[in-house]
Amino acid sequence: MMTAERLLLLRREEFPFTPRRGLLRRFMERRSAQIGLLIAAFLCTAALFGNWIWRVPPERMNPEAKLAPPSLSHPLGADQFGRDQLARLLDGGRRSLGAALTVLAGVLLFSLIAGIAAGMIGGLVEQILMRLLDVLLAMPSMVLALAVVGVMGVGYGNLLLALVASSWAYYARLARSCVRVVRMRGDVVSARLAGIGWLRVASGHIVPGVARQLIIVATLDLGSVIIWIAGLSFLGLGVQPPDAEWGAMLAESRLYFTVAPWLLCAPASAIFLAVLAANLIGNALRDAAEVQSGG
Amino acid sequence: MRLLHTLLTLVGASILIWALLPLAPGDPALRTLEALGNDNPRPAEVEALRRELNLDRSLPAQYLSWLSRAVRGDLSVSWQSGRPVTAEIGKRLPATFLLAAVTLLLAVGIALLLAFISAAFPHRWPDGAVRFVAQLGASVPAFLLGLLLIQFVVIRYGVGRVIADGSVGDVWLPAACLAFGRGVEWAQLLRIGLLEALSARYTLTARARGARRRRILARFALPNAMLPFFAVIGMSIGAMLGSVAIIESVFSWPGVGSFAVTAITARDLPVIQGFVLFSTLIFVICSLLADVASAILDPRLREGEE
Repeated sequence: MMTAERLLLLRREEFPFTPRRGLLRRFMERRSAQIGLLIAAFLCTAALFGNWIWRVPPERMNPEAKLAPPSLSHPLGADQFGRDQLARLLDGGRRSLGAALTVLAGVLLFSLIAGIAAGMIGGLVEQILMRLLDVLLAMPSMVLALAVVGVMGVGYGNLLLALVASSWAYYARLARSCVRVVRMRGDVVSARLAGIGWLRVASGHIVPGVARQLIIVATLDLGSVIIWIAGLSFLGLGVQPPDAEWGAMLAESRLYFTVAPWLLCAPASAIFLAVLAANLIGNALRDAAEVQSGG
Repeated sequence: MRLLHTLLTLVGASILIWALLPLAPGDPALRTLEALGNDNPRPAEVEALRRELNLDRSLPAQYLSWLSRAVRGDLSVSWQSGRPVTAEIGKRLPATFLLAAVTLLLAVGIALLLAFISAAFPHRWPDGAVRFVAQLGASVPAFLLGLLLIQFVVIRYGVGRVIADGSVGDVWLPAACLAFGRGVEWAQLLRIGLLEALSARYTLTARARGARRRRILARFALPNAMLPFFAVIGMSIGAMLGSVAIIESVFSWPGVGSFAVTAITARDLPVIQGFVLFSTLIFVICSLLADVASAILDPRLREGEE
């Protein structure tokens, strides 16, 4: 999940610092943010509560409805086992979207801890951590993820672990250079001069500042995280059958495309919408953050 | 300095890649013997191979022995086929290189075309249309695009083949899938660079001296916008290897990536190691080349180093 923009940031080893004030307002004013949030809200609601409203169990097989076209009882058709495609789409959404958010949260957690530790402690600890990050960053992150899956074996949990393990290094480096900027900020210096200990300054001033910056960059990557989870599951390296997941559903419906092309539409458009929403939100957030730092 | 740093990083990476083997379950010696056709090896045979591969020694000694063999191109044998990993990967390299080269050409072409349209009509409808397409394009995963292309172009209209054989005639569809996403993304970067260059003093001078808009774009704005663009391309080639693996699997392209995916499913550790090693080398070399290229192209960087 190396977007070109991220590569540029990585090479510059610097990034604008964003104050909190007005960020949310500028973000919400953007049309792309509104559309993105609307789609995201729709998808998340569907994934969270969909299976309570559409009460067909996603794993129930109905031999009479094998590969059935869309109808009132199966709005999106039924798959090769006669399982309801809508129910599976909703069930899979929980896994696809939940996985993306879990990966993001894991990456943020690890990189914050490592980056702040490196930036605050400095010295030998920082040197060792930075060299380790150099090594991780020397490998293409997705190749690293594939390698981790290869060692641990295929599966949903392992896939999440692999994605976190392969992408936290970039954020850790970002967090560390961010810490160095924040440390020199007025409020941090005055807090230190007022005799407040490093630990409290870190938790009260540094962590929120660095975390905000990381979240802005991470939101830009959310779309590619969704793509990678779906892509690896599509290859059979992630969620295993009979569990539903959008990428895995895509792989299954692919086999029956000639007889039941409608099966492919549902997971394909779900993935597309999710990535679109993530990209819209990410871009709007970046634009909202950049306005301030430019002026 | 840069080289020394790269070398140190490579050593670190090699430790990580080697560590995949002891971290994974299963006895490498046993798996190797089984792959070579010895289904029920006697304990003595396993023991002999363990000694030969230095697996009975301490972990640092194991690493050094693995490294010295790896440098000589011996990455042990695939646990699936029993053939040497280096030969297996080498056999599939041309197909992957072909795919990557065509992808790169197409992506740069798409990026140049779209960025030019955007920069020629900034903030008017062609620019808006390009950015709209880019926004949609960035949201379609390459493998989804590939899937749809196979279903509609190949199966419905009989253009191309479902099972690609790695020849030049079949490379277009998978390359187009990979290139599209990169192309629209790069176009956005290039557009920003072009617009920045268009608002610079030297373009104003050129305008004042009567140069036409198209000439200003091609002659003055493009070279300046290309510099950061080169760096991105250099780093993207390595980063692309992950998506290449997925696209190769979708199109059954007989390259290194699809081979690696089957190896992952089968937990064929030596092949996985080989794949990661190969990708890391490509990645490191490409970013090094990108640095060298931008140093040659950008006089400011050259002076900075002296």
